[in-house]
Amino acid sequence: MTNEPLLSVRNLSLQVARTGVEVVKNVSFDIAAGEIFGIVGESGSGKTLATRALISLLPAPIRVIGGSVAYKGRDALSMKVPQLRRLRGGEIGVVFQEPMTSLNPSMTIGRQLEEGLQLHTKLSQEERRGRILAMLNRVGIRDPAGALTSYPHEFSGGMRQRIMLASVMLLKPALLIADEPTTALDAVIQRDVMELMVELTQAEGTAVLLISHDLPMVARYTHRIVVMEKGVIVEEGRTADLLDAPQRAYTKKLLSSLPFRGPTRTIDRTKAPMVSARDIVVDYGGRRSLMKKTTPKRALHGVSIDIHEGEVVALVGGSGSGKTTLGRTIAGLVRESEGNIRFGGRSRNDDWMDYRLNCQMVFQDPYSSLNPRMTIVALVEEALRLLPDLDAAAKRKRALETLEEVGLGFDYAGRYPHELSGGQRQRVAIARAIARRPKFLIADEPVSALDVTVRAQVLELLSDLQKRYGFSCLFISHDLGVVEQVADRVVVMQDGRIIEEGDRNTVFDSPKEAYTQRLLSAIPALDHNAQGGVTLKWRLEN
Amino acid sequence: MKNFTFNGLIGSILIAALLLSAALGLFWSPYDPMKLGFTARLEAPSSAHWLGTDEFGRDVLSRLLVGARASVWIGTLTVTFATVCGTLIGLVSGYARGWIDAVIMAVNNALLAFPGILLALGLLAVFGANQYGIIFALGIAYSPSMARVVRGAVLSLREREFIEASKVMGNGELYTMFRHILPNCVAPITVLATSMFGWAILSESALSFLGLGVPPPAPTWGNMLAAGRPFIEQAVWLGLFPGLAIALTLLGINLLGDALRDKLDPRMRGLK
Repeated sequence: MTNEPLLSVRNLSLQVARTGVEVVKNVSFDIAAGEIFGIVGESGSGKTLATRALISLLPAPIRVIGGSVAYKGRDALSMKVPQLRRLRGGEIGVVFQEPMTSLNPSMTIGRQLEEGLQLHTKLSQEERRGRILAMLNRVGIRDPAGALTSYPHEFSGGMRQRIMLASVMLLKPALLIADEPTTALDAVIQRDVMELMVELTQAEGTAVLLISHDLPMVARYTHRIVVMEKGVIVEEGRTADLLDAPQRAYTKKLLSSLPFRGPTRTIDRTKAPMVSARDIVVDYGGRRSLMKKTTPKRALHGVSIDIHEGEVVALVGGSGSGKTTLGRTIAGLVRESEGNIRFGGRSRNDDWMDYRLNCQMVFQDPYSSLNPRMTIVALVEEALRLLPDLDAAAKRKRALETLEEVGLGFDYAGRYPHELSGGQRQRVAIARAIARRPKFLIADEPVSALDVTVRAQVLELLSDLQKRYGFSCLFISHDLGVVEQVADRVVVMQDGRIIEEGDRNTVFDSPKEAYTQRLLSAIPALDHNAQGGVTLKWRLEN
Repeated sequence: MKNFTFNGLIGSILIAALLLSAALGLFWSPYDPMKLGFTARLEAPSSAHWLGTDEFGRDVLSRLLVGARASVWIGTLTVTFATVCGTLIGLVSGYARGWIDAVIMAVNNALLAFPGILLALGLLAVFGANQYGIIFALGIAYSPSMARVVRGAVLSLREREFIEASKVMGNGELYTMFRHILPNCVAPITVLATSMFGWAILSESALSFLGLGVPPPAPTWGNMLAAGRPFIEQAVWLGLFPGLAIALTLLGINLLGDALRDKLDPRMRGLK
């Protein structure tokens, strides 16, 4: 009896009913009571669907076509609705990815937390309130009593995820399914929430099924891992063994796609900087309208930054740090309230067109940065529209060459964005940005929407292009792993101010500010070994 | 996808038939549509008068053929007028935002608050009750709803990153508006324009019924329908055939509109 796993999945297969495509094939795994178990895979690997099937929450077009799921020896797949309702929440809790949408925006926090207790326990109202307050206190909500009557929008993403966690853990489930619980959060908050989740579940003896694309994060907290690819389990084992000596090519590929520290380059900083922003202040919302005058919210408090020729400067910080605002101000998408920006030694306003032609941008979301009604080649060609010295034929030729350079051959030219994968779209966006050979490129989170292996390829492409054309780059990211790979210099922002800057090696090896240290503690340093495995070293563990 | 081509085909056939009969009505009809025949009043459909005759003995088929021209003409011009005006207003309003948007939308909402037909009545009183008066009046009455729909689409589109990308490339506002925003509004515009065509034909008949439409004795489907109403118990064909013609035209326009919208959307390609 003691050896019986809490949850046992055998040969689970799922199919899209209409097309007959098998999205999950023969998946088997066991989770023991109190264990932390991880499923790692890229998008389309079937990891989310496989876990949704455990509690019969599959989206309508997906059917179970084979296999079994046993929860404490009971068949979970054939359960009737009343049994299922006791199982969900009461025995198996779920924390979803998106804290912005997983709480009901029109219900108070107190009401939402109480719902589960009302349904699954026989506590009196007083007891329920006591339990909720204790739990909110435990997940680190500062004013639990006040939180009860607040609505979700009054909390930040990290706080909402804590509340979500509280609502699930209130019922003391035996298993917690956490599907990308921290993906939508920035690095520092991500780590805090994970630590809290692990601490809370270990204390209650709750097993955790952690699903994520983020291999180091999963590895950090789990005892055992399975790796999924295209609906199949590729490899499974104890976390440490799997990282140390991966057996399968796909696992090795995943591990080798993890960002690593790039070579240290020497940048000539004796010359005047190519781009120089001085004392930039940006205020939002301070417009005087007919009815009322709103007080402006200051997003940047006098920030200065220099970018030299051929240099890659990374701008890092959590959400709300102002890094994106600074990038967009330098790109000319946001008007600075004060300060000035110089390009090539002159104010950029002296020759705006010259600046416009030489400063290009790659956006975060490749799904929304390409006009869906234009072909790939037309998208790239548009970037050349304002170049004076090229005729139409030369523009077409340049566009096709640039597409070739980013790894999209001739047969992609006539396609539309929706026919491309996320990685390919981001390549198009990069082609568009470099087609006119700009001297300066701003990349705002260019790889954070991409899968691990695709991310590695796109980063490689960016650094190849940068070598070839020598453009300077302002690289904005919250992911320090990526920054460590590409940056020459790192600038750390917090609350609209620059708090630390320096050479990449200096900042990563001996960060001065506490905030930088916290950012760094969220990512591991990697040691690759001969078997294609890695050892993760967590920095500044405390 | 089979479904789509089938619907598109039916729509095309119906619209082709409409256009052909409108064209035919220009040159030829079995009888003179204006010719009164006091001996043959309210005759049921027969081999001589395929669709019967009306209360003045005029041939219904001939009047339908000739009336098709007026209805198609009014419908097309009204929709074109409303679409062009509404789209431009909506584009400018949604793209500019700020006080320009506030002013335009205030006027727009005021216009929307009137029932379309009432607005058209008022305008007709100003412009005079004739074919072009109707087109102008209905066009103005329908523009606000188009403006509203386009503005909504523009508001969400202008926040997309490809609009910012266009700015970063140095493209001007007008270029961005017409190259990037307008093409992505095609779907809602087509849907609304096709239903507007139906409203236009029906409103024309309503205005004709009130005596403000195309003045009799010239036939339009609307005034034929209106004229047939008092005789519905004795001569059902008087109302039936113009009504059927309007219904089939609307069906055809809607099917064709949907098919066109899908055809124009590159995202529907490759989903075979």
